[in-house]
Amino acid sequence: MNCQEARLQIGADPMAHSAELQEHLEGCADCRRFHAEMGAFEADIRRALARPPQLQRRARVAPPLWRQLALAASVAAAAVLLAGVWLLRPTESLAREVVAHVQGEPNSWFATEHISAADIDAKLRQAGVVLDINSDQIMYAQSCWFRGHYVPHLVVQTAHGPATVIILKHEPVRTRQAFQESGFSGELVPVGTGSIAVLTRGDGNIDDLAAQMQQEVHWMPDAH
Amino acid sequence: MRIIAASGKSAVMRNSQPDSPVSSSTDQLPPADAPAALTQLFESLRPDLLRFAQWLARDRAIAEDIVQESLLRAWRSRDALKDPAAARPWLLTIVRREHARLYERKRLELVSLDDVVETQAFPKVAEPDDDLFTLRHAIMKLPIEYREPLVLQVLGGFSAEEIAHELELSSTAVLTRLFRARNKLRVLCGMSAAPDVAGDPVAP
Repeated sequence: MNCQEARLQIGADPMAHSAELQEHLEGCADCRRFHAEMGAFEADIRRALARPPQLQRRARVAPPLWRQLALAASVAAAAVLLAGVWLLRPTESLAREVVAHVQGEPNSWFATEHISAADIDAKLRQAGVVLDINSDQIMYAQSCWFRGHYVPHLVVQTAHGPATVIILKHEPVRTRQAFQESGFSGELVPVGTGSIAVLTRGDGNIDDLAAQMQQEVHWMPDAH
Repeated sequence: MRIIAASGKSAVMRNSQPDSPVSSSTDQLPPADAPAALTQLFESLRPDLLRFAQWLARDRAIAEDIVQESLLRAWRSRDALKDPAAARPWLLTIVRREHARLYERKRLELVSLDDVVETQAFPKVAEPDDDLFTLRHAIMKLPIEYREPLVLQVLGGFSAEEIAHELELSSTAVLTRLFRARNKLRVLCGMSAAPDVAGDPVAP
């Protein structure tokens, strides 16, 4: 493999690690530098693409009547399909996704940095949520992308240790449900038209926190 | 993992689960002939499909239409999905084809970049990192012949060979497009362009 071939391979797929490329890199400092540079840039590209672009809706020219009727029929069929999906969607899958999300942020459990009340409030308001809770209890606050929406992801210090709270404005659950998944104990609690997921590691007691959060979370009516 | 497309073509996936903020686990899924399980599966993949379509179409409304139409097509062709674990690449392929079909059929008007620039209504939430904002804008500025293979590779997890098969190009052509896509992004982000492997100058 020569430098040109190596650079093509690196530039086309910086995550690829063929034996041939590896061998070339060991003997070529220039290509090694290019590889490191493209590897760092690739991480940025992946971060950039990880979220959908925030695009504005553009006004479009109205299609002919027959297309509008066809579209209406499609929309009606889709609505029936989605209604079926919505009714059939089991809460277990929501719990599983919540746990998977928390597993993806392991450092959240060890956060010790003080977060200002203003920061917490801003994170919550971005997701259309108001929370009447003492900010000293919150050790971690992030806006996370979850099922098509930004949701507040908090870690709250309780008498029984840290507990994660994820506020899911767009995920209704019918009743309060406890779950155990991958070493986590949790509850999904209905709040208005959405829900809250509260979970902790092991078998910690989160009943009090779940009940408290159920009382203290309010949805902002004008949120996106 | 295999792609089993509606056309009956199949390919071996290198990475069907790229890093994603939306978890879309397809492990231990029920058989594909269970309608409820399939609708649930399709719905769980919807955010991934919408994100993919938005990066392709650069228009939210069009992307939503594409995903809706793709899901309807997928539902009609659900018998072609033999392995539910292959649903994600299968659906992404349908979305890509629907996007291509839409452009071929409607010959959509060229979109001014001013119209597709990301809104900055929630800059603190969406783009806390200015470099990332520049990069996301640069990706949207890429012509479709470069953006499409890049999105297929990074978001779809498709290998260069799979992309070549899907776009009906040679593997070398796909590698060159991927190289040039990243090189253009470097330039658009203020970095120096790497010498082009084909010897042509790389312009943003």
